[in-house]
Amino acid sequence: MSVANFINRSHQDKEGWKYTDLEALLKTAPASIAMNNNIADTGDHPRFVFVNGVFQSKQSRFGAVPSCILMGDLATGYNLVLGEHTCLVTQPIEFVFTADENAPNEINIKLTIEVGANGRLTLLENHLASPTITVLETEIILHASAKFVHGKIIHSGGTHLARSTAQVARGGYYNNFTLIRGTHLTRNEIDVVLQGEEAQAALNGTMLLRGTEHADTTTRITHAAPHCASRQIYKTVLDGKSRGVFQGKIIVAKDAQKTDGYQLSRALLLSDQAEMDAKPELEIYADDVKCSHGSTIGDLDEQAIFYLRSRGLNEAQARALLIEAFVAEMLEEIQIEAWRDIFRAEIERWAQ
Amino acid sequence: MLEIKNLHAAIGNKEILKGIDLTIPSGEVHAIMGPNGSGKSTLSYVLAGRAGYDVTQGSVIFNGKDLLALNTEERAATGVFLAMQYPVEIPGVTNMMFLKSALNAIRKSRGESELDAMQMLKVLRGKAKEIGLSEEMLKRAVNVGFSGGEKKRNEILQMAVLEPLLCLLDETDSGLDIDALKIVADGVNALRSPARSMIVITHYQRLLDYIKPDRVHVLAFGKIRKSGGAELAHELEAKGYADFTEAA
Ligand SMILES: Nc1ncnc2c1ncn2[C@@H]1O[C@H](COP(=O)(O)OP(=O)(O)O)[C@@H](O)[C@H]1O
Ligand SMILES: [Mg+2]
Repeated sequence: MSVANFINRSHQDKEGWKYTDLEALLKTAPASIAMNNNIADTGDHPRFVFVNGVFQSKQSRFGAVPSCILMGDLATGYNLVLGEHTCLVTQPIEFVFTADENAPNEINIKLTIEVGANGRLTLLENHLASPTITVLETEIILHASAKFVHGKIIHSGGTHLARSTAQVARGGYYNNFTLIRGTHLTRNEIDVVLQGEEAQAALNGTMLLRGTEHADTTTRITHAAPHCASRQIYKTVLDGKSRGVFQGKIIVAKDAQKTDGYQLSRALLLSDQAEMDAKPELEIYADDVKCSHGSTIGDLDEQAIFYLRSRGLNEAQARALLIEAFVAEMLEEIQIEAWRDIFRAEIERWAQ
Repeated sequence: MLEIKNLHAAIGNKEILKGIDLTIPSGEVHAIMGPNGSGKSTLSYVLAGRAGYDVTQGSVIFNGKDLLALNTEERAATGVFLAMQYPVEIPGVTNMMFLKSALNAIRKSRGESELDAMQMLKVLRGKAKEIGLSEEMLKRAVNVGFSGGEKKRNEILQMAVLEPLLCLLDETDSGLDIDALKIVADGVNALRSPARSMIVITHYQRLLDYIKPDRVHVLAFGKIRKSGGAELAHELEAKGYADFTEAA
């Protein structure tokens, strides 16, 4: 996909882009962005580095990645294919995306991730620095009882347009959590289809916004088969004149009886000039389902700030503690402790 | 020593405190009693530095410092501590985290080194046990789902951990059964020291059976109307506040 595709889509689907005026936002993108190329890492997990969208095998560390992972070529995008049981990837894999001064105006990346029956994959995408526009298309195919835990941190400075689609077969499990902070514009679309019985999806995320940043998380979960469950928790913190958008649609097909769907969007406004738009949508065609959604927008509790200050914390510390507490509920959804720590550290850094 | 002189304070346009004069020497415990709405909580919030309370006249000097010139956390750093009538719930922040952040902030302001996680745990466990709060309650979110009595004990726990020099207890006894009341009183009495001043705000002289005050003051209609020894509390218990009218 390209920027042009996204612009086209925004024209064709006005309702779906109601709160994100893509063309206007692309025009206001800052000319230069401080590059955060610090890709120092710790640990010995497999780590694949992409610079300007191009895979760098020299900077990468393959570690214990089994041979059943195939890397594609540039023309077709990158494929990560796991076969059946035999190639469970026990260690989390990290994809690091960064850019340098030779970055083109538009970086296009296509990832295809296919996890075979009963396979396990844990992948963290770390979008570090991109002064320009990154267009990321991710196609995810989970076969029966495959489990994919997919983390994503977008703190690249520039513009990030992403569309992920996931097809989850019987008994499969797709878990996504995304942290967005410090980008001019992010549109992060996640479209999941629970195709087989007892498939599950858990989508969670946090957007931390300040200045004139704009971030839009748009999810769609289609329950196409009975006995599937989906759960979404999104937390957004907005300061300055930033704008946050959460659009979450749950579709329950006619045959998808015994669907269990849960969705929560909560926003914390730190400034009068920030704006949050939350649009939950349920489209239910089956009759025996359990679906709930909730959306709240609030500000920091002045009483709690006084309480903390009266115990010696200064105002900045008090606010940071409350912001972290607000996001904590989402952190608890992250099952991998090391990643929870990475996310918590990102949040602390932002809040201070 | 705390010296309050001719203190007037308003909430919005409404004058609540109408000229409070009160001196509490170091080492003494003073009780403030008075009818509902007389301004007792307002006085405690003004001393702690809560926003929304405008001091329109008067002065408050604590250990030689102009308390009114300090912001809330600076007052906490000089040793002011308010055990609140209605402790605030903070979802998502564990009691442990709260106490840890508070103690390290206070230690830092005193020029002391911050405690690491292990040292902190040791301090908090010990103090919690003294106050009768289980370790499980340290792991829960601050005051969330706590009973009224647990919230009050949690205030006393914070006080015991932070070791303030001016303790303001605003109706810490309300909502406590007799056992909890004794635990709270023991916690307060354990902190009595020649360096500390305490103001105990209460409706009931019952608490004063356990925390013996050096002086008792009646606050009514925004002013101290009467002061006396511990016996004044008994008198008030018997007669109520009917003698104190707005005009008096
Ligand atoms: N936030 C507020 N806004 C307006 N009036 C208030 C507020 N808080 C307290 N008051 C008023 O101030 C007076 C004193 O209240 P308070 O200090 O809470 O009394 P006490 O603690 O002695 O019962 C009461 O008349 C009360 O209604
Ligand atoms: Mg009161």
